[in-house]
Amino acid sequence: MAAIEVEKLSKTFRVPEKDEGLWGSVKALFHRRFRNTTAVSEVSFSIEEGELVGFLGANGAGKTTTLKMLSGLLHPTEGRASVLGHVPWRREAEFQKRFSLVMGYRSQLWWEIPAQETFRLNQEIYEIPEAEYRRNLDELVDLLDLSDCLSVPVKKLSLGQRMKAELAAAILHKPKLLLLDEPTLGLDVVMQKRLRLFILDYNKRNNATVLLTSHNMEDVVELCRRILIIDHGKLLYDGPLRQVVEKYAPLKVIRVDFREAVSAADLEPVGRVTESSELRAVVEVPRAEVSARAAKLLSKFPVSDLTIDETPIQDVVRRIFASGET
Amino acid sequence: MRKYLYVFGLSLQNVLQRRATLVMDRVGGLAAILALYYFWEAILQGKDEFLGYSRSQMLTYVLLMNVMRSFVFTGRGWELVQEIAHGRISSYLLRPLSYQGYSLSLDLAQKTIHLASALLELVVLVALFHAPVYVPARAETWTLFAVAVAASSLLFFFLEFLVSCLAFWTSESGGPLFCFELFLNFAAGSFFPIDVLPRMLQELLRATPFPYLVFFPINIYLERVSGPEAFRLLAIELGWLAAAWAGTQVIWRRGLAVYAAEGG
Repeated sequence: MAAIEVEKLSKTFRVPEKDEGLWGSVKALFHRRFRNTTAVSEVSFSIEEGELVGFLGANGAGKTTTLKMLSGLLHPTEGRASVLGHVPWRREAEFQKRFSLVMGYRSQLWWEIPAQETFRLNQEIYEIPEAEYRRNLDELVDLLDLSDCLSVPVKKLSLGQRMKAELAAAILHKPKLLLLDEPTLGLDVVMQKRLRLFILDYNKRNNATVLLTSHNMEDVVELCRRILIIDHGKLLYDGPLRQVVEKYAPLKVIRVDFREAVSAADLEPVGRVTESSELRAVVEVPRAEVSARAAKLLSKFPVSDLTIDETPIQDVVRRIFASGET
Repeated sequence: MRKYLYVFGLSLQNVLQRRATLVMDRVGGLAAILALYYFWEAILQGKDEFLGYSRSQMLTYVLLMNVMRSFVFTGRGWELVQEIAHGRISSYLLRPLSYQGYSLSLDLAQKTIHLASALLELVVLVALFHAPVYVPARAETWTLFAVAVAASSLLFFFLEFLVSCLAFWTSESGGPLFCFELFLNFAAGSFFPIDVLPRMLQELLRATPFPYLVFFPINIYLERVSGPEAFRLLAIELGWLAAAWAGTQVIWRRGLAVYAAEGG
């Protein structure tokens, strides 16, 4: 059974508009103009149980709005969704006990008291039996290295510690579905890595479905085999991460080392030079002509070493966002 | 049910944790009561009665105002407004928890602590002023008073919740709550008994739920209303409570349907 099924989901917001400056504010006092903005437009997709899917898009593309609809916070303007067999915006307790939404910039922890109190509160809210609670908590404390953070008021924790505690609070009840919005936001590289490993492990161990958004391409590359790309509210791409490269990267990358200095200008006939120093260069060439161009390089220049690569996924996705192409 | 008890306990901790806020709150309230006490004492100088209140009844009214305000007027209105405007209620809406139940549990914790503090203050004030406190003799009065106070406390909770929910529609949202609070202070009789006001205004106010928050319960305590009249007014109060509850449910449901879960 699909964990998430979405059909032609749309959300339109009514946003007040005002002219710039004080005079604009005065005018808006008497006459307020509204504009309808479509945050999500006829998005359809389906995610199977146990899948780990990346949800990508530029700022304002509609990722978070979609997640909010899937978690039942927002009622859609049109379309339907079934999440774990429930209509999310009905907010049935049985549904809420089986998923969790973690937003990297939002906190459910009580600010002034230690995190373990919020954990206990969640135990009560989700009605987790004591033995199971202990087991889950011990496991989380161990995996996330939380033991130092439990009894300190949340406001005294560092961002990384808080994020870990936040994640622990969100999955104490072992949700079958995790919706993660920017889980690594603001964390240092070591912490990011650790969190990624944890998410991967959680997904495997519990056969849990994970849908995550991130601006951090490392997150996506390391975690997700499948991605959804959304732009201006429309779904642009839904498929394997690898294929994005083939579909959206018409170029391959040739890296060359030279025995003697070669100028960038001399390399132009081979392809577009993206990087060049005297003894080293990176050239982009059309996918279909890659072997011919490589041969040309080898025959005409004093090449000591040569490798052919795919365009990095990061660059590909960045390029898709930048152009907004379909 | 257990989850709400736990929220209550957690909230007790939280209120006690913020000692400074609690002390300021109490001192502020106390200063107002002291001023009002001296004010009424001056007015009652040499008089046995004023507006139908005996000296002892009027001074007791003032002292009870502090207790009533502590138990009835502690709300989470401003927090709710902020939580809606900034999208922070999201984190509660995601969990299997009734937000109203959660709010009420938090509020009850505040009420408990403020009531305890107010009762302590009452003892100190009475001892300090040798105040001629009115003590009802009939057991029935005490029972009626307890029911009226419990109902007025809930009535306030739902009225304030309802007004705060307007934040779902007005993006700045503080306005309605601000007006509500402004109106509340004189309409509920929490600064002075509403008998002080012109007859017309009094009649008008009696047609609203406000006098049932403070004025009516204190009048029961002072035995200025009793017998069938007291029961009639209590029935009206319970009617207002039911209406406020029902209104809150409707507004809450509609509000959630337009909720934009702002921020991010």
